[in-house]
Amino acid sequence: MRLIGILVIVFIAAPLVIVVPMSFSDARSLQFPPPGYWLGYYRAYFSDMNWLLPTWNSILIATATTVLTMALVVPATFALVRHRFAGKSFADLMMLMPLAVPHIVMAVGYYSFLGDLRLVHTHFGVVLAHTCLSVPIAFLVLSANLKGFDRNLERAAQSLGASPVQTFIHVTLPILRPGLLISALFAFIQSFDETVVAIFISGRNAETLPRKMFDSIRQEADPVIAVISTLLFLAVLVALVAPFAWRGLRSRLAESAPRSASPAGQ
Amino acid sequence: MGATISRLSEKPNLWPWLLLAPLAIYLAIFFLVPLIDVAIMSFTEPRLSIANYQKVLTGALYQKVFLNTFMTAALVTLACLCVGYPLAYLMNASKPRTAMLILLLVTMSFWTSFLVRTYAWMVLLGNNGPIVAFLRAVGFETPPQLLFTRFSSTLAMVHILAPYMIMNIYSVMRKIDPVLIRSAESLGARGFSLFRHVYLPLTAPGIANGCVLVFVICLGFYVTPVLLGSPREQMIAGLIGHQIEEFLAFGMGSAMAMVLLAITLAILAIYHRRFGLDKLWG
Repeated sequence: MRLIGILVIVFIAAPLVIVVPMSFSDARSLQFPPPGYWLGYYRAYFSDMNWLLPTWNSILIATATTVLTMALVVPATFALVRHRFAGKSFADLMMLMPLAVPHIVMAVGYYSFLGDLRLVHTHFGVVLAHTCLSVPIAFLVLSANLKGFDRNLERAAQSLGASPVQTFIHVTLPILRPGLLISALFAFIQSFDETVVAIFISGRNAETLPRKMFDSIRQEADPVIAVISTLLFLAVLVALVAPFAWRGLRSRLAESAPRSASPAGQ
Repeated sequence: MGATISRLSEKPNLWPWLLLAPLAIYLAIFFLVPLIDVAIMSFTEPRLSIANYQKVLTGALYQKVFLNTFMTAALVTLACLCVGYPLAYLMNASKPRTAMLILLLVTMSFWTSFLVRTYAWMVLLGNNGPIVAFLRAVGFETPPQLLFTRFSSTLAMVHILAPYMIMNIYSVMRKIDPVLIRSAESLGARGFSLFRHVYLPLTAPGIANGCVLVFVICLGFYVTPVLLGSPREQMIAGLIGHQIEEFLAFGMGSAMAMVLLAITLAILAIYHRRFGLDKLWG
């Protein structure tokens, strides 16, 4: 059992690890182990508009998608989690539907639909499509958070004289902030990584990074992809490890702090 | 706002509808209309008929692609299970620190873009890659072509989808009360019979979740089969893309998309009746 486990770990880790040395390779094409090392492809990435523009497009589209998704999802989640009404279970199901439909099916639909609206190959069109795909993910995260919300805290605030608006701003929102942030982060990543719909509708004008990577892998396997892969991989690593590191740092500070800080604490 | 709602909610009120309305309208326009568009095109392009469906359901090429898609999805699901179950078991049995590190690795793989992982397999399996070099070293004069075959796309899909399986099974295993296992042992269950009669039934919900999720994602998988697979052994999503991009055959592409959608929704509907769809991604 242990041996199988180790083999599986190697199987999962190897592809993640291999792109890092590849990004420093000086080979013209895919070759591993690399014949030599240099930083040339990093320079190429950071100086080539053909790569920087799609990166910028992706950031722009993912940001706009996140804002639009949250504006739609936050009120809807309150309605669905805190209320019982006829058709609620149907509404719950509909929220998840974009997750159930294969992206290639949506890609065909958007290609024709956005084409009719003259929005194909525009940033706005990609944002409209990506928002639909981000909604279920943001909803799942936020509704899980809202279900665990202790409503006695709101009742306590109101019994102390807070108005409903004050309660929402000073009690509900701060408690819900981590859930809101994670939900927004998931919406952002969903849009930033989305490939299939973007391949069909983003065109040259609004070309996203995944679309550019897909085309590049399909045609020539430009080694710059290894650079982007390494950077994306690094971003994931930082995002995952940062909360642990932050907690560790804080608890270590807390351990050493009380002695020196106790007078102020009194 | 939330508090206002609670006060008003005793009477029948419009609040939930008002809060829900923007999203409902948005999804109706930008999600349902494009889907209905696909349904309409499948009957009207190039002219009003059911010819597209006749071709998709009876044409030898299309039947072959559908069969290939099903076989691949089944194979990937099975392989993910074989890979995921032992790892989830190992995580559950090891010390918290080790389990955390493995979980971190699995999560990292999960969050790394499909494209990055697909590219990594291209490097690993390429003609100048380490695996071919290893095969040469151990005596293969002409190593087999690994890249752009059914093997390479299947392997990469297993790697990409395995985290879904592992996380689903692990989250169920973690909740198993060790007392159950100990009492089974005290009643004489050992080895395989302990696994078969106690462990397997207890982890079955996680297995079902993982398998449905992996199978359904695999059925509609576009990127990896197109980039790593053999052009002669397309999967259904790749063929749909091909029809649209190369031939601008929206009718055929839409009809295939509708069949793919119907199959996917049928599987999810069965799952929904037994477990509830919200649990699948939860």
